[in-house]
Amino acid sequence: MESFKADVAIIGAGGAGLRAAIAVAQKDPRLKIALISKVYPMRSHTVAAEGGAAGVVQSHDSLDHHFHDTVAGGDWLCEQDVVDYFVAHCTEEMVQLEHWGCPWSRKPDGHVNVRAFGGMKIERTWFAADKSGFHMLHTLFQTSLQFPSIKRFDEHFCVDLLVEDGRAQGAVAINIASGEFVMIEAKSVVIATGGAGRVFRENTNGGIVTGDGMALAYRHGVPLRDMEFVQYHPTCMPGTGLLFTEACRGEGGFLVNKDGYRYLQDYGLGPAEPTPRNKAMELGPRDRLSQAFWYEQQKGRTIEGIHGSTVHLDLRHLGHKKLRERLPQICELAEEFMGIDPADKPIPVRPAVHYTMGGILVDGNCASPMPGLYAAGECSSVGIHGANRLGSNSLSEICVFGKVAGDNAADFARTAKPAPSATLMKQAEAAQARALALVRGNKGTERISVLRREMAETMERGCGIYRMGDTMQQTCDHLEQLRERYKRVKVDDTSSVFNTEWLLAIELGYQLQVAQAMAVSALNRKESRGAHQRLDDYKVRDDVNYLKHTLAVSAGDAPPVISYGEVKITHLPPGVRAYGAAGEAADAASKSKPAGGSAP
Amino acid sequence: MSARKPYRRPMAGWWKKNPYFVEYMVHEGTALFVAAYALILLAGLFALARGEAAWNAFAAFLRSPPSLLLHGVLLLGFLYHTWTWFNIMPRTLPPIIISGERIKPATITRAGLAASALASVALYLIARIAA
Amino acid sequence: MKAATRTIRIEVLRYRPEQDAEPVVQAFDVPFTDDMSVLQGLQYIKDELDGSLSFRWSCRMAICGSCGMMINGVPKLSCSTFLRDLYPGPLRVEALAHFPIERDLVIVMDDFITKLHKIKPYIIPKEARSLSQGEYLQTPEELDRYEQFSSCINCMLCYAACPQYGLNSSFIGPAAMALVHRYNLDTRDGGSAERNPYVQAEEGVFNCTAVGYCSEVCPKDVDPANAVNVNKTEAAKDYFLRFLRPKGAQA
Repeated sequence: MESFKADVAIIGAGGAGLRAAIAVAQKDPRLKIALISKVYPMRSHTVAAEGGAAGVVQSHDSLDHHFHDTVAGGDWLCEQDVVDYFVAHCTEEMVQLEHWGCPWSRKPDGHVNVRAFGGMKIERTWFAADKSGFHMLHTLFQTSLQFPSIKRFDEHFCVDLLVEDGRAQGAVAINIASGEFVMIEAKSVVIATGGAGRVFRENTNGGIVTGDGMALAYRHGVPLRDMEFVQYHPTCMPGTGLLFTEACRGEGGFLVNKDGYRYLQDYGLGPAEPTPRNKAMELGPRDRLSQAFWYEQQKGRTIEGIHGSTVHLDLRHLGHKKLRERLPQICELAEEFMGIDPADKPIPVRPAVHYTMGGILVDGNCASPMPGLYAAGECSSVGIHGANRLGSNSLSEICVFGKVAGDNAADFARTAKPAPSATLMKQAEAAQARALALVRGNKGTERISVLRREMAETMERGCGIYRMGDTMQQTCDHLEQLRERYKRVKVDDTSSVFNTEWLLAIELGYQLQVAQAMAVSALNRKESRGAHQRLDDYKVRDDVNYLKHTLAVSAGDAPPVISYGEVKITHLPPGVRAYGAAGEAADAASKSKPAGGSAP
Repeated sequence: MSARKPYRRPMAGWWKKNPYFVEYMVHEGTALFVAAYALILLAGLFALARGEAAWNAFAAFLRSPPSLLLHGVLLLGFLYHTWTWFNIMPRTLPPIIISGERIKPATITRAGLAASALASVALYLIARIAA
Repeated sequence: MKAATRTIRIEVLRYRPEQDAEPVVQAFDVPFTDDMSVLQGLQYIKDELDGSLSFRWSCRMAICGSCGMMINGVPKLSCSTFLRDLYPGPLRVEALAHFPIERDLVIVMDDFITKLHKIKPYIIPKEARSLSQGEYLQTPEELDRYEQFSSCINCMLCYAACPQYGLNSSFIGPAAMALVHRYNLDTRDGGSAERNPYVQAEEGVFNCTAVGYCSEVCPKDVDPANAVNVNKTEAAKDYFLRFLRPKGAQA
């Protein structure tokens, strides 16, 4: 087997992975970096992010506001010290991207412009039209090309981590083009593989978003934290689940039901004003908006189509010119995929799975409990999203924590003593044998597509916008069966060159484990919080018993073992999550109170 | 040993595979028509230099049916070349911004075609007056 | 409500290097609904008919640039090309032209990645600025000058549309040239002198004969032909101006 000696191995070359790689390269040009990705970096799913990235710039905004929006938006399940660090470093990272060439949209005076987003008190979303993720990713990728210490392994599919002496010491990957294996030795490893939204049926995610990194860490005993919290984005294309950015509403779009009525005012988000004010109506948080859709559907006030119920995203009043300027990609999607000109007709939308708030347990330094293993971005749970992520925090997260992960992994690598290559090679060969077993002498009977479809359907049924104990239990049971059936998975293609069916089979194994961590975590959280809403006996938030992080630890073939960890609350005690007029009243009331701490 | 064996497809006959390329080749081909007409003009110049008899013979040739046919064909070639040339022109120019708005490609093409039509008419009128 | 289903025949040019000496056509009958893309048709084949069919895809929304292929001889993104528009078919799908075929619909694109490294597609600052100084100022008009060229998704359709690249793959080509232009036009950048030697070299812009098809097929209106041709003018200017400059003067 071919091998490569690196100081830092980074798995995943989306926004977080690239930012981490640049951080390592800048910190110490002598450190050799292996940047491993199953796709070319510019294909990574960061590319599909549309709306923008948060960073406080306006004089009437403050870090405190950003902190409050984030923690309250996350229904108090955030690590407040980490959120403090995060909000304090967002703007600097946005400026850094600007220096690297990101084409942020500008104001006439040449300064960067910001727009409103859901759940946000003051406008602070930096944007590049509605292709913010695309521009950030290409800026990071192209910037990374100037660092000779970054050795890329494009289209290399990671099948395992190398763990020796309890420490992460590299990875094993398949060179997709040839089907040959590569061992990458490293003194520290950063996982930056993104989310796992593809375990659900209708989702906004690209085909590559299969939770690989989460599963890799999980299989080696690293806990997955808060996996039950899966965000539904309220405005997606029926059928495909493609995303219509929150910026549609940030720019002033309306959500209306079949009667043309702005139904959000019935769900504590009013008043309905011609221009939605911040944190009200269409600019409410994503979990609330998706939940309101569910109720409208129950009431029969949605519009029925071939892909299920929809409501209308009405952008007509923004006018042709503004739509082309601010939301060009949305116009393109509506026109090309649905034959709708948003300036003429409202767009039918429905919620779809968008983001996994939970992930690999890491501390504020992006360090996992396993020495030498770091994680950043959607695959990680650094603690800023809590039970529901605030829109435009994820693009900032990949930069802020991509850098943190890179810096810390570099420091670790500078002092770590690597294990002997021969020892690692033994592990790599074992990993190779396991992966090859899927294609060599495969006598399986279970079709990949069938297992995948059943997984996605059962996840949607049990772990959707609203959840019930019994259906969640059925989902957990079904996933257990699917994992059993997966042992007999059938792979027709036994060739070596660009064998994508083989990779799909491996990915399915990752997905089933991640899905199981989600479902079992959900079943065990007997309360409703953020994106985890139950309709059975646990309809309300229960801070006494569940102001806690769920930790799912792998138990091999058995379902994960669930335990709980403390939530770090520094200065914002749990309060009522209120939006619209109620939210403003609550803000006013808290301001009139005397200053000073009131920690519980 | 890698089992990779990338396959390179041949390029032979590439221009026949896509109507766009056929049009491109015709466009490039009509450049020969332009060159042919330049040769005719050159021949006229030589005839002029060699004296009145030679010039008269050349003028008579111009009026002959084969020459008229040739000129008709050349004119068609010219028109096609002009048309396709101005169609590609917007792709070769830096953006032209007039009072804050970018000039649309179609406008550039139309302006080019109009200019060449105008030039042709002007040339014709000058020729008439000179005659 | 249920969508009406029709059937279309998709002929795929397959190439499995471990068993085929050269590409062969294989036909599949695919049931489809009106909202299904060619990509979804291929996914149907892979899921239900033949798991060994290989193609790249990810985002499904025409931004990741993975799923370019020849569809009835035209370079297109398969995710935003719809089966309904190709009915009754049959339709022919093939790997992007002018690239070596790795397997089935997958091309080898190492060449583009090498070119990307060569063109230095990053800001080489005109004047250095620290983070504490905040952002560079850039007006919307200045942004507008290069924005379209920054919209390239590296989908390679333009290379599949460029016969000059097909005939001579050392040609820098449309997408790489669009990126050169993007950075050269950026007010923050001062690196054009570092990029121009490559642009103006033998493998540079003068390989282009202004076919213009690259811009026709570009799914993002980048207009790479413009980037190439405007730089021909620039290159010519540079060439002739150097005779007017006193010896030793900076470009």
